[in-house]
Amino acid sequence: MRGLTTEVGFVSLNKKGEELCGDRVEIIRHGDTTTLVLADGLGSGVRANILSTLTSKILATMMDSGMPVEECVRTVARTLPISRDKGVAYSTFTVMQVADDGVLTLLQYDNPSVIFLRGGVSLHYPQEELLIDGKKVCKTVFETKPNDIFVAMSDGVPFAGVGIQYNYGWQRDNIIDYLEANYEPELTAKAACALLVDECDRLYGRAPGDDTTVAAIRVRRRQQVKVLIGPPEHPEDDEKAVAALMDGEAKRVACGGTTSNLVARALGKPLIPSIDYFDPEIPPTARIEGIDLVTEGVITIGRVLKLARDYLADSARSDAWERKKDGASRLAKVLFEEATDIAFYVGRAINPAHQNPDLPISIVIKMGLIDELAELLRKMGKRVQVTYF
Amino acid sequence: MDVFVCIGSSCHLKGSREVIEALQRLVAERGLEDRVALKGSFCTGRCTEGVCVRVGETVTTGWNGQNAAENFERYVMGALQHE
Repeated sequence: MRGLTTEVGFVSLNKKGEELCGDRVEIIRHGDTTTLVLADGLGSGVRANILSTLTSKILATMMDSGMPVEECVRTVARTLPISRDKGVAYSTFTVMQVADDGVLTLLQYDNPSVIFLRGGVSLHYPQEELLIDGKKVCKTVFETKPNDIFVAMSDGVPFAGVGIQYNYGWQRDNIIDYLEANYEPELTAKAACALLVDECDRLYGRAPGDDTTVAAIRVRRRQQVKVLIGPPEHPEDDEKAVAALMDGEAKRVACGGTTSNLVARALGKPLIPSIDYFDPEIPPTARIEGIDLVTEGVITIGRVLKLARDYLADSARSDAWERKKDGASRLAKVLFEEATDIAFYVGRAINPAHQNPDLPISIVIKMGLIDELAELLRKMGKRVQVTYF
Repeated sequence: MDVFVCIGSSCHLKGSREVIEALQRLVAERGLEDRVALKGSFCTGRCTEGVCVRVGETVTTGWNGQNAAENFERYVMGALQHE
């Protein structure tokens, strides 16, 4: 896909007092094709949740397998159970699909219109109206560029603040103004969603009157990140491991004191550790010319793992690590935000530094940390490769 | 003179930060900023005896927040006198 990929994110707020959200986001990645569906079921609670779950699952699965749009919408219309009291089966939806050639397909049915930001400015896009089984569905197809962001939302977003902050909720123009004002080139899909939902939460006075969901896709250039962790099992492989780290265009990270020493030696550059503690629990970082980030090993990785778990939890909306300067926060930013493709080179040497009986670190634990981190990064949509030395 | 405090995993857990803070305070109190440069180092290979502090060319071990002042007197001030 022309060296492009996508990044996705979504954040939901439940209507006050509801256990279940009536909005549902379904994401399917298939090679470099990303399909995201945001469905908003009629009403709230269990019924809405079932309607939106069915709708989003069916649409995402069918769109992902390349079925014609009409077919997908018809299948949804004929599958949804009809509500006894209201006589309608109803879930609004937005489908955003970015194919591996970078072409975006938007399908919109009764949700607030998708906001399209290019270079931080909202642009209009052409829409074609389709009539499928009596439903008016708007279709848009066009070619994307890197850093384009598409923001879909449920009607809980424009409804925010009705009667509290605004008489009629905040309108599409207000929402666009807000996004444009807060746009930064580094703004990730997830951060864009969090930004908007936080504002809605504020407008609702922290007691949302409706399920509120924002989902976004951001088109971006691939960014390879390579991380060397731990010295190789056989010292004669040191050079091979460093060569793997230095190969090609990438951001490079060295984790671990012994590892950093061997990288510095192989590159013939000095290793300059700092003594600045930005976080009392995380050892300071160091510098090696040619390496973008040099951190301590297992304690730092342990923290990154915790940050990754929090990041993936739906509840996490603002992430302190984005602004913090300790090794773990900086590594989290590189892995979660900047990277699209990650290669871990993991050395299996038993580190003499960890033979200390006071240290709760065994080689088994270290391997377990990397495996779990790799899995969480895959859940974030990264391509992750782990190689052992 | 350079004083390297190990900030590797093992020494970190044994209290590198407290040692660094104590040394920073001692250096400032005695106005030794021009003579003593505090730096970090990664593992010096004697983790079981940490926190390790290399004073000039000599690796000293067993530092912690409590004995930092005493060790400073003995190793750092001692080395300065011989300079």
